[in-house]
Amino acid sequence: MIKAKIYRFDPDRDKKPFYKEYEIPVERRVTVHELLNIIHRDYDGSLAFRTFKCYKGMCTTCILKVNGKTVKSCAHPLDMDAEITIEPVENGTVVRDLVVDFKTM
Amino acid sequence: MDIQTLTTDVVVVGGGGAACRAAIEVAERGMSCIMVDKGRPGRSGATPCALWSIQAPFGPRGRDERDSPDKFFEDMVRAGRFIGDQNIAEIVANTACDRILDMERYGVRFKKYDDGRFYQTPMPGQTYPRSCFMFENGQHMSTILAKEVSRHDSIKVYKDFFAFHLLKKEARVAGILGMDMLGGDLVAINARSTILATGGYTSLWGFSDNPPTLTGDGVGMAYRAGAELVDLEFNQYYGTDVIWPPSVRGTVVLYELMIQEFADGEITDRDGNPIIDKPLPIRDEAIKIIFNVIREGRGTEHGGVLFDTTKSPKGEQAVRDVFNTMTPKHYHFLIDAAGIDLAKVPLEVAPASHYQCGGVYINERGESSVRGLYACGEVEGNFQGANRLAGSALCDTQTMGAQVGGCAADDAKRGDLVPFDKKDLHGTVDLVKGFMEKKKSGLRPVFLKEEILRTMDQYVAPFRDAGGLEKGLATIRGIREEIGKISVPDVGRYNLELREAIETVLAVDAAETTIGSALFRTESRGHHNRTDFPEIDNKKWRCHSIVANKGGNPSYSKRDVIYTRLRPDDE
Repeated sequence: MIKAKIYRFDPDRDKKPFYKEYEIPVERRVTVHELLNIIHRDYDGSLAFRTFKCYKGMCTTCILKVNGKTVKSCAHPLDMDAEITIEPVENGTVVRDLVVDFKTM
Repeated sequence: MDIQTLTTDVVVVGGGGAACRAAIEVAERGMSCIMVDKGRPGRSGATPCALWSIQAPFGPRGRDERDSPDKFFEDMVRAGRFIGDQNIAEIVANTACDRILDMERYGVRFKKYDDGRFYQTPMPGQTYPRSCFMFENGQHMSTILAKEVSRHDSIKVYKDFFAFHLLKKEARVAGILGMDMLGGDLVAINARSTILATGGYTSLWGFSDNPPTLTGDGVGMAYRAGAELVDLEFNQYYGTDVIWPPSVRGTVVLYELMIQEFADGEITDRDGNPIIDKPLPIRDEAIKIIFNVIREGRGTEHGGVLFDTTKSPKGEQAVRDVFNTMTPKHYHFLIDAAGIDLAKVPLEVAPASHYQCGGVYINERGESSVRGLYACGEVEGNFQGANRLAGSALCDTQTMGAQVGGCAADDAKRGDLVPFDKKDLHGTVDLVKGFMEKKKSGLRPVFLKEEILRTMDQYVAPFRDAGGLEKGLATIRGIREEIGKISVPDVGRYNLELREAIETVLAVDAAETTIGSALFRTESRGHHNRTDFPEIDNKKWRCHSIVANKGGNPSYSKRDVIYTRLRPDDE
């Protein structure tokens, strides 16, 4: 069971950001990017994140903060009992939830 | 939902190598340009997934002085099994070197010999080693091209912009309609010329090595606008993509690295018997060998074969140095994401969806069959033929990107800005709004998309037959009937599910026309293998397959391939 606290914020609707907690059973180690896809598909379709990935850890489109540290979510595997906080990176303004309008190319 | 209208001379749809190069050419010819990128500029489309290899026949300025544009042309035509249009192949072959020098001028770093000649790697199907070597691979190329785009004041880039409809005025295309994902507004762009550079639709298959966003926007839009599509049955698989573990499923590991010059390893069956002889075969042959080993029951636990460098006579450290030099990022990605060191353990790999040889039918100026609409890069259809060589895709993005960008700009100079038909606009806007209405039995698009991907994996793999294709077609037509039941949240900012809903509409068109084209071609050639028609049939089928939207239904026909210089050996 992975326990994930995820940053949620829609500036059009929410006065301020909040965290939503998810408990996701997994049968193998998954990466953070896989976890977000599982949540979006099976638990909460309203979660916004960047689905794009290059399969090689090259493009950095999927970067996020996991427990305060910036990681490539596609290349960051989680333990099957991980407890994590997922937040958007600070390199830009938050569009919604984990999606950032990146300042730099 | 507000609708904003913008105007420009040329609108370029896409954000990868071909889109950037087309936009640069438009700007250099003094015309204004809007480029709309579905994702993050410089990190979008399939170009960031590419490796080092971009072909150019530098000859004396490269590794082998005997190489020439003529040899490049001939290699391409033969690899394409004589289905590629040679008027386009000539442009690619003759301008490749100049376009690579452009890239170098923009800042792309190539490996060189000490005397300044281009270092080039040998790849299967190249008479002489012809693949120039880009450090940091396709991601580097993407970023540098996007930076070059940003240097032009006359190019306005809209990032995170999902284009999904071609706006028309009677029989011509007059621009596009799309959604600004950041704010959620719809934006109509009225243009003199519209260039599709949306890439392929590799990820219409579940097992793919390309970004999940590539599910057929380009061909879907073109088909709906009435443009002819060509050779869609030739969806290229790549032989050796990771099939296990799932966290890195779809990552390319290059069988081209198995030659003695590099890792000197082997692709083997489950028991370690080598299955691919050297010199290495080109891609359509390689996948056939691998598929056959798997079908004979000699595959691995998860349905693949082994990518094995552990018995290389060069030794572990030398092999590691090869991966670190040739494909450093993804060598480390496999270690980080899955704890797999390619130099130490054999990896389970299998053929996965990799590239579309077919796409929008164009002439040598990039014009589609609909006035005002152009295509370049992977979404263009008729030059790779039935198969393509390593390093031809990136080369095509630059050569045809520049060629088509230039022609679209020249035509824009002479042409009027024709306002699009408002009825066309409002009809599409209503479709989008319909998805956001609350429905009793609302369907989530993610599940419809998954079903499309499963169907393509199951029935439209490189080995296919009429029975399977008919089943696939019936499933896709069933999904089309379900589209009206889709319901997504009414959210403005980054409405991922709304994007998925619209992508599903376009993906259904891409899937139906691809399956139909595979049914239409009753022979086996290149990446299209009909088990019920296992032989190549040059008499009936050395031609293009064309599909076009006739009154809402796909209509299939044949068209002659354009041969300018090289006739097949048997003619």
